[in-house]
Amino acid sequence: MKYLILIFGTSLFLVSCGTTQQSKLEAYPSMYDDRQPLSVLVIPAINNTTAADATDYFNVTINEPLSNFGYYTMPVEIVKDIFQKEGIVDSTMIKGIPPSIFRKNFGADAVLFVTINAWDKNYIVISGNVTVSMEYVMLSTDSNEILWQYSATQVVDTTAESTGFIIADLISTAITTAATDYVPIAKQVNYQAFAGLPHGKYSTRHRIDGEEKILISLKDAATEEN
Amino acid sequence: MKLNSFLILSTLIFIGGCASPNTGYYWENYSGTLYNFKKNPNEETRQKHIKELESIIIKANEKGSRVPPGVHAELGYILAQQGEKGLAVEQLNNEINVYPESKTFIERISIMLGLED
Repeated sequence: MKYLILIFGTSLFLVSCGTTQQSKLEAYPSMYDDRQPLSVLVIPAINNTTAADATDYFNVTINEPLSNFGYYTMPVEIVKDIFQKEGIVDSTMIKGIPPSIFRKNFGADAVLFVTINAWDKNYIVISGNVTVSMEYVMLSTDSNEILWQYSATQVVDTTAESTGFIIADLISTAITTAATDYVPIAKQVNYQAFAGLPHGKYSTRHRIDGEEKILISLKDAATEEN
Repeated sequence: MKLNSFLILSTLIFIGGCASPNTGYYWENYSGTLYNFKKNPNEETRQKHIKELESIIIKANEKGSRVPPGVHAELGYILAQQGEKGLAVEQLNNEINVYPESKTFIERISIMLGLED
C-alpha cells in the first residue's frame, strides 16, 4: 500500500513490459553476505541519447541518493577527471576493462554503471514532461558478478504548479519548459532507482531490509539468474 | 492545482521519508551548486560550491552526524586546484579519517594533484 502511494504520489509512471514482486533478499542475495560492497565507484553516466545535457544531470545527482542508502561513494566529477587524465573520455570505453582494476586503483568493492537510454522532453500546451529510460548495473570488483541492477522507463511531469489562471499557466509553462531545472528531476529518478537497493553499511536499515517487497522488472530478474 | 501540490508534497515525502533519515546525512543544495559550477566554471560558481561543501561539513558537525561521503574529498580537491595545498591535505585526510575505505582513492587524488612525492 505504501508503495502504491509512493508510485502514484511521485507522479512517475512506470512503463514496463512486466514486473514481478520479490523480497530484496530474494532478488539480491549477494547483497546480504560478505559480497555486499562498502565502497561503490560510480562510473560517469553513459549517455545513449542525443540529449548531451542529460549526462551532467545524472552525474551531479547520483552521489547523494547512493550515499543515503548507506554506501561509500566517490565524487563522480573527480572520478571523471581521473579517467580523462588516463585518456578515458567516454564511459563506454570502461565496459571492457576488468572490474578488478577499480579495486586496485580506487579501492572500490563495486562499480556502478549508469546508462541513459532515453531523455525526451515533451512540451504540451499547459504541461510538460520528460520520458526517462535508465539502466543501472552494480558489478563486484572481486567476482565480476552482478550484485544489483535496475532498469525502468518513466514519464516525469515537469509542469510548474498551476496558478489557476489559464493565461498565466501558459506563460508559466513556457518559462518552465525553457528553463526547467532538470537537476531535481534527475535526482528524483536516481532516488527512485535505489528504492529497491539493499541498504549499505552506513544506513540504519543495513541488513534489516531483506524482507521488504520490491517490484523488479522481469528483464532484470531474468538477467540476475544467469 | 491541488493535484500538483499533492504530487510535489508526495515527492518530498518520498525523498525525505525513504532516504535521508537512514544515514543522517545533510546534503543541502550540493547537486545544485555542483551543477552550476560544472556548467559555468568561474570564480563565482566555484566559491558558491566551496561554501556549500563547507556548510554541509558545519551542519554535520553541529548535528553530530557523519559528513556525507566525498564531501571532504571534493573540498580538498577544489582547494588544491586553487593552490591551497595545506588546507587541501587537511580535508583529504579528514575524508580518510571518516571513511577509511577511501584511502586508495585519496592517495590517487593526492598524487594527481601533486600533493605527494
